[in-house]
Amino acid sequence: MITRRGFLKAGVSGLGLFFTEGGVKVLKAFQSDVLKPFAWANITRDNYLVVVSNKSEMGQGVHTGLSMLVADELNFPWERVRVQTAPAGEIYIDRKMGSQLTGGSTSLRNMHTHYRLLGATIREMLLLAASSSWKVPKESLRIDKGYVTDGKRKVSCGELWEIAIKLPVPQNPRLKTPKEFIYIGKNVPRIDVPEKVEGKAIFGIDVRLDGMVYALVERPPSFGSKLLSYDVSKAKKVDGFISAFPISTGLAICANSFESALKARQNIEVSWSKSPIQDFDDEKLKDFFLSKLQTKGQVARREGDPERVIQNSGKKVEAVYLLPYLYHATLEPMNCVAYVKEDECIVYAPIQGQTFALNLARSITGLPEDRIKIYTTYLGGGFGRKAQALFVGEAIEISKKLRKPVKLVYTREDDVKSGYYRPMNATLLRGAVDDKGKVSSLYFKIAVQSVFEWAGRPSPIDRAAVEGLENIPYQIPNLHVEYVKVDLPVSVWFWRSVGSTHNAFTLETFIDRLAKVAGRDPVDLRLELLKDPRAKKVVEVAAEKGGWGKKSNLGLAYHYSFGSHVAQVAEVSFDEKNSELKVHKVVCAIDLGPFVIHPGLVISQVEGAIMMGLSAALKEGVKFSNGGPSNLNFDTYPLLTMDEAPEVEVYIVKGDGPMGGVGEPGLPPVAPAVANALLWGYGIEVNQLPMTPDVLKSAISRR
Amino acid sequence: MELKVNGKVYVLKVAEDTPLLWAIREHLGFTGTKFGCGKGICGACTVLVDGEPTRSCITPISAVRGKNITTIEGIPSSHPIKRAWIELQVPQCGYCQPGQIVEAYALLSKNPRASKEEIVKVMSSHLCRCGTYNRILKAIQRAQQLIEVKA
Repeated sequence: MITRRGFLKAGVSGLGLFFTEGGVKVLKAFQSDVLKPFAWANITRDNYLVVVSNKSEMGQGVHTGLSMLVADELNFPWERVRVQTAPAGEIYIDRKMGSQLTGGSTSLRNMHTHYRLLGATIREMLLLAASSSWKVPKESLRIDKGYVTDGKRKVSCGELWEIAIKLPVPQNPRLKTPKEFIYIGKNVPRIDVPEKVEGKAIFGIDVRLDGMVYALVERPPSFGSKLLSYDVSKAKKVDGFISAFPISTGLAICANSFESALKARQNIEVSWSKSPIQDFDDEKLKDFFLSKLQTKGQVARREGDPERVIQNSGKKVEAVYLLPYLYHATLEPMNCVAYVKEDECIVYAPIQGQTFALNLARSITGLPEDRIKIYTTYLGGGFGRKAQALFVGEAIEISKKLRKPVKLVYTREDDVKSGYYRPMNATLLRGAVDDKGKVSSLYFKIAVQSVFEWAGRPSPIDRAAVEGLENIPYQIPNLHVEYVKVDLPVSVWFWRSVGSTHNAFTLETFIDRLAKVAGRDPVDLRLELLKDPRAKKVVEVAAEKGGWGKKSNLGLAYHYSFGSHVAQVAEVSFDEKNSELKVHKVVCAIDLGPFVIHPGLVISQVEGAIMMGLSAALKEGVKFSNGGPSNLNFDTYPLLTMDEAPEVEVYIVKGDGPMGGVGEPGLPPVAPAVANALLWGYGIEVNQLPMTPDVLKSAISRR
Repeated sequence: MELKVNGKVYVLKVAEDTPLLWAIREHLGFTGTKFGCGKGICGACTVLVDGEPTRSCITPISAVRGKNITTIEGIPSSHPIKRAWIELQVPQCGYCQPGQIVEAYALLSKNPRASKEEIVKVMSSHLCRCGTYNRILKAIQRAQQLIEVKA
């Protein structure tokens, strides 16, 4: 993991990059006295351990999770640990992903051994340094609270570090055994919390450089439209207006303050070409997706003869589901500060995908990688959206033109219009149960756009489209999973838990409908169908803790995604008169494997995932008119609020196997758990999300 | 014009219709107050104007002339609200948290014994995409305990 080459290369191009910019006033958050040569971690002279995180901190607590692994191996006092996000660079690529990217619930899964080895390596180097200067055997020394000691003498790690870094890098250092852990497995306080509470955390939008120009990008109202013409004559009268010019995604509007840029925009007439989907509104979109279900797709998985079994079965169910485009709605909108000079490009941005940003910067500026510096700030929410780096490219384009530092900020409306949604989809489901009440056949056909194609990785069967279905956890003898690729100019992207956001809903609610037809308890039915003992266990724990069997207004759903098993029980009540649904409580069991680094982070991630999943299930969906989004801000695209937040209980089940992910797997089960509670408690079948009063009213009428 | 922020007077040369948010963030550098929606919906931009929680993104600076503006940076670290927020490990991404804290601070300043229902009602005007609502509620209730003990 930690090669000598890695360390040596870091010696030249590592942390030093952070602090040696000529010409640009570097932000305080990126300044440091740490000019030591290691790329991944350093100890300052005044004895702070500074860990460099190659993963972006967007609320998931990865800075805490990664740095505690290093600090643990070093027995370093937690209050003396600091974290910096790595600049974009080859050395910081997550080798398991092949990209410097935070996503897919992989950060701790992919990096935990690396960071533990890093801590162990530094420990060995410090011990070697003390051993050679004191002329005593290394074995007689230990590290205690940031000091190396032989029992009589002690010297701070920071002081020793200057000697240690000149020594050869030890290979294969010993990792601690679990019994020796001082932090791993414990809820150490999050490293980012105090500055976030003080309002001192620096997000991308907080970056300010001297002489900075503010930019907005006016983008097309419809997907697929292009800029035709614009008139800035009126804007020229706006105080502070600088210029407006076309860039690849729309019209850049620049001014010497944000408020001037906003005012200038109001005074610019822009005309756009007609969109290929100019006449698409909600109805048209719906019909379009439903019509796609009539066409033939690619078969992702097939077992037995599902159509024949369904046809011959006395107990069968058929349904068509329709799920909307979802907006990520990071509270911090897309933004980026970029400064492109003749021979250098400097970027500060809240990004999940540093490699993507670097590639964009290289292609736009034509500069070599060593002249491009991309620094990642805190992210005010990511959820996948900030892995799409086009907003960084826009700021670079604008700065390249102006040769000035530029701060690009999306307004909320710009952010919604910029797209990259969770794809809308329609699914046809058919299923049957046999005479013994066993599920004998399942048939799925999903019509959806390909997120991987939008990410530049097309394939005949989009992995996200059939996620959770292709690898269905249930043993069903006759099975058909078919993917109909939908082509639309509406940009789609990875949205927290990706394809599982829709497929868990369709599969898990359909299982309950089959249970109902079979006259079976849905928990018993699942336990019969599930193969994996870890899956069974989370279902059992969630059912037990959720009070399964004691109340009628409960629903359960199970889903496996990103390496973790999750089951949830939702308790709801439904006011038929007003079609109002209230979710009172969600009980969750999660199995992410035996090695749980920070249980508190797991719990907060699952709590948050449940709220986000519930927000989507109850309220969210991008509406369309004239080929573009029509609900452009939180008044028309509402999110869950505190009065709608259910009580949440999370139980961590430690099963065998590799480490699972945490950021995403908590999200998929909540929507089907709620819908299942409506089915069992109130006889309502939900075929459409979000479960707004209107949707529920029409569901009642079908009852 | 003059703007009094966190007890200090600043002289600003910007248009009087400039939203308070951009004046304090970009012109004065108090970046703890956040831009979320620009329409006073999400609450990320909440500051206190003479003690009243105010959506700074829709408040022109001309409306706060001579008034005391308090931002997240102006609430002491030792205040029970901030201490409770750290104790309960509330923030995830942290972006909405300054607005939440300022709102909660105003609520407890006026009504230290606010009931759960009162807290939920007031705080439901703030959006948190990370879904920290339950912890926010618990932190406010914890701050109430800390205030009680102090009193």
